[in-house]
Amino acid sequence: MKALASILSCLLLSSAAFAADPALVEKARAEKKAAFYANITAVEPILESFKAATGVVAEYTRLSTSKFVSTVLTEHQAGKLSADVLQAPLPILELLQEKGVLADYRPAALAAYPEWTRRDGRIFTFGIEAVALIYNRELVKASDVPRRYEDLADPKWKDKIVMADPSSHATTISWLVALKEKVFAEEASWRRFLQGLAANRPMFVASFGPTPAPVESGEKWIGISMPKYIVTKAPAPLDWARVEQPLFGTPRAMALAAAAPRPHAARLFAEYWLSREAMMILAERVGEYVLHPGIFPPIAGMEKARVEAIRELPDEEIRRWGAEFKKIFAAP
Amino acid sequence: MRKSFLSPGTGENRRPLTFGLLVLVGGLTVCPVVLLLLGSLTEGLGAFGRLTLAKYRAAYADPGFAAILYNTFVFTVGSATVCTALAFFLAYLNTRTNLPGKVLFRILSVVPMMIPHILFCVSWVLLLNPSNGLLNLLLREALGLSASPFNIYTLPGMILVEALLDLPIAYLVLAPALSAFDATLEESSHVCGASRWHTFFRVTLPVLRPAVLAAFILVIVRSLASFAVPSVIGIPGRIYVLASHIYRLVATGFSPDYGQAAAVGTSALAASIVLVVLYRRLTASSERFVTVSGRGYRPAIIELKRAKIPLLAVVGLLCFVWIVLPVLVLGYVSLLPYSMIPGEKAFALMSLKNWRLVLADPISRLSLRNSLLLGIGGAVLGMVLSFFVSWVIVRVRSTAAGILESLSFLSFSFPGIVIGVGFLWFFVLTPLYGTLWALLIGYIATYLPYGIRPLTSALVQIHSHLEESSRVCGAGPLTTLRRIVFPLLVPGIVSGWILMATMFVRELSLSVVLSRPGTEVLAVQILRFSEDGLWGRLAALGIVMILISTALVVIAGLFGRRSLRAFGLEAS
Repeated sequence: MKALASILSCLLLSSAAFAADPALVEKARAEKKAAFYANITAVEPILESFKAATGVVAEYTRLSTSKFVSTVLTEHQAGKLSADVLQAPLPILELLQEKGVLADYRPAALAAYPEWTRRDGRIFTFGIEAVALIYNRELVKASDVPRRYEDLADPKWKDKIVMADPSSHATTISWLVALKEKVFAEEASWRRFLQGLAANRPMFVASFGPTPAPVESGEKWIGISMPKYIVTKAPAPLDWARVEQPLFGTPRAMALAAAAPRPHAARLFAEYWLSREAMMILAERVGEYVLHPGIFPPIAGMEKARVEAIRELPDEEIRRWGAEFKKIFAAP
Repeated sequence: MRKSFLSPGTGENRRPLTFGLLVLVGGLTVCPVVLLLLGSLTEGLGAFGRLTLAKYRAAYADPGFAAILYNTFVFTVGSATVCTALAFFLAYLNTRTNLPGKVLFRILSVVPMMIPHILFCVSWVLLLNPSNGLLNLLLREALGLSASPFNIYTLPGMILVEALLDLPIAYLVLAPALSAFDATLEESSHVCGASRWHTFFRVTLPVLRPAVLAAFILVIVRSLASFAVPSVIGIPGRIYVLASHIYRLVATGFSPDYGQAAAVGTSALAASIVLVVLYRRLTASSERFVTVSGRGYRPAIIELKRAKIPLLAVVGLLCFVWIVLPVLVLGYVSLLPYSMIPGEKAFALMSLKNWRLVLADPISRLSLRNSLLLGIGGAVLGMVLSFFVSWVIVRVRSTAAGILESLSFLSFSFPGIVIGVGFLWFFVLTPLYGTLWALLIGYIATYLPYGIRPLTSALVQIHSHLEESSRVCGAGPLTTLRRIVFPLLVPGIVSGWILMATMFVRELSLSVVLSRPGTEVLAVQILRFSEDGLWGRLAALGIVMILISTALVVIAGLFGRRSLRAFGLEAS
């Protein structure tokens, strides 16, 4: 079975081979490398295959979300931004766009993507950082797995939930607000859900990164987390709750730097990143939910999930809701 | 006779040295802090904008801020008390008594310093979390309890782990002072009829006051800036201290305002400056703490007699539960594909996969090389600078020396999350940005107190008459330094070097913002694994880091012993 899967995977990859404008490849080769600033897990296979396909090196600088804007802006203002390509959650790139950091460029590969992913010619969206309820399948009985988000407020989950701190974690705050806007018919029922969730005394962690560990070790049974961990943490006994409502997440976006030191290598890298070949690697190896049609992460049931991008909340709104959630989730 | 900084006198001829050091240390530590303060006082996200106090108003008007300050006070003072007491106990037994296995305990005492802090905290969570912590499960089963007896997600839990993490700092400050303790002082007390305890409280402790206070203050300042414990243990327990509060400020939203974070960070800075001033006042009459003078000094070893075995058992148990057990947990985690409690399944799934992946990873190997280079080279340069700074602090004791001492604490006392951004704002204005030099300079500037504290607490015990006698006998300043001062300072130099080298090997706060492709370091690579939840790889790389640091500690210890033997100063 495994052999069959790998043959299929090879066939699919070879059918998705990257083809770029030879003139662009030549100019990019002359520039030798493309510097890539991002905060995305395990993308090394994509960088390696980019080099194999084009002969150009992709140099990855990983910046955490909380340091992304300050680092890029500081370098930009000092005239020392060495990034050619920038990848971050959409709200971050929109902020950088306001500050004049981004170039006006629309990759040809974007034609394969849904219309809404093409913004105004500077930022392009290629994936959604989907949020889901992941649980320990050795501890949670099939009959107990939540079928709706509202089920998390059931007292049976008391002291069994882990989630990122809803008073500060931007994506969790945005996700909770998305539930209000897209799942609950009225604000009162949403607030009742939040109070029920708070009464279950979820354990807070700083971000999504530490959410799967307590679930896989059995310290907690269920977490508000990301389904991609089912791939990256395999063979941990993790599964995701196929709730009847959509999954929501922050759009993952990309852009070229306006003052990219290596503009041709930057364009070539962006074209490659958006190619079917690169997106397949991202989905298969990293478990990312990508927007290239027909590509899904190897997570059972994910191909049927409705995954929606959440509204980009401005920072003031995130802080306002963070303060509100701080009160709601205050220790009982 | 040519005047030099080692010449007799109190200030006149040492002014150029003091001034030079003020410029150097000030340049290293003030720039990032000034940029942060500018950021806290200006509009926008950078350091240069229109002046405003809005960020201070927003930071301090938070109604929950009083509770955060209270938690911070209990956390830092609690950690410093537990840590200093424990370090004193271990350092006393290791330096002043004939306790068996001292070499092993000496290494064990500094092990927590070598473990990546996040990993050390995770080990304690795996041991003492209330749901399925290993020790809790064992105790529940053994004692038939219905609930877990311990909960790590509490203030006492935070204090315990922080105290253990900072134990090496306190230990390495106290040990040199205890090594240089002149036993004749205690003997005189005994001759006058004082009991052992009376002598300890009225003679030993007061003479060691500078070292005890130095250790206490250093741990307070360190725990103020600490983020691992507040993040891994505090946030799940909903106990917020200054560092996690600052994290919340910068994490809420996509464009964090480090100026507002710096505004909160100034509380920590102010507290540190007050502590340094207090320390100088409490140790003002330095003559009272001199134990090594021209009259001869003898660091004697105390026979433990009947107490030897019980004390060995106590120290052994402490080291096992507090140090060895968490390291064993790391070893266990490094062999697993994911976090799970020990059992049949866990043992069946064990493999060396994480180790293979880490050792084959080119970035991990490059990080290893860079960290080693920064650890060894940085600590050597840092100790040279620390020596001159300590000298001025202890021997000159002028207002300028006081300013120098406070300056050395500037970057050190700013919470780690913020100071890195200060250095980013600073280095981006220089050609050093993105190079290993930026990391090296940033490390030395920030962790200068690690070199200065052990040296000053050792130096304060050495009477200046020794150097003056050397000069009178015709020795030049360099000969006096080589033949008189250096030999007596060997334990302090070794301690300071170990503190700096092991810190530089696992430094994260600055590295995470200054490291770029080609200048990756171990701690940043470890952070990547932690962000991705790859605990097995993280543990494997963490163990590599522990092994490297242990090798550095052993080499430094051997060098120290050999030097002492060569100078005929080994404890009898």
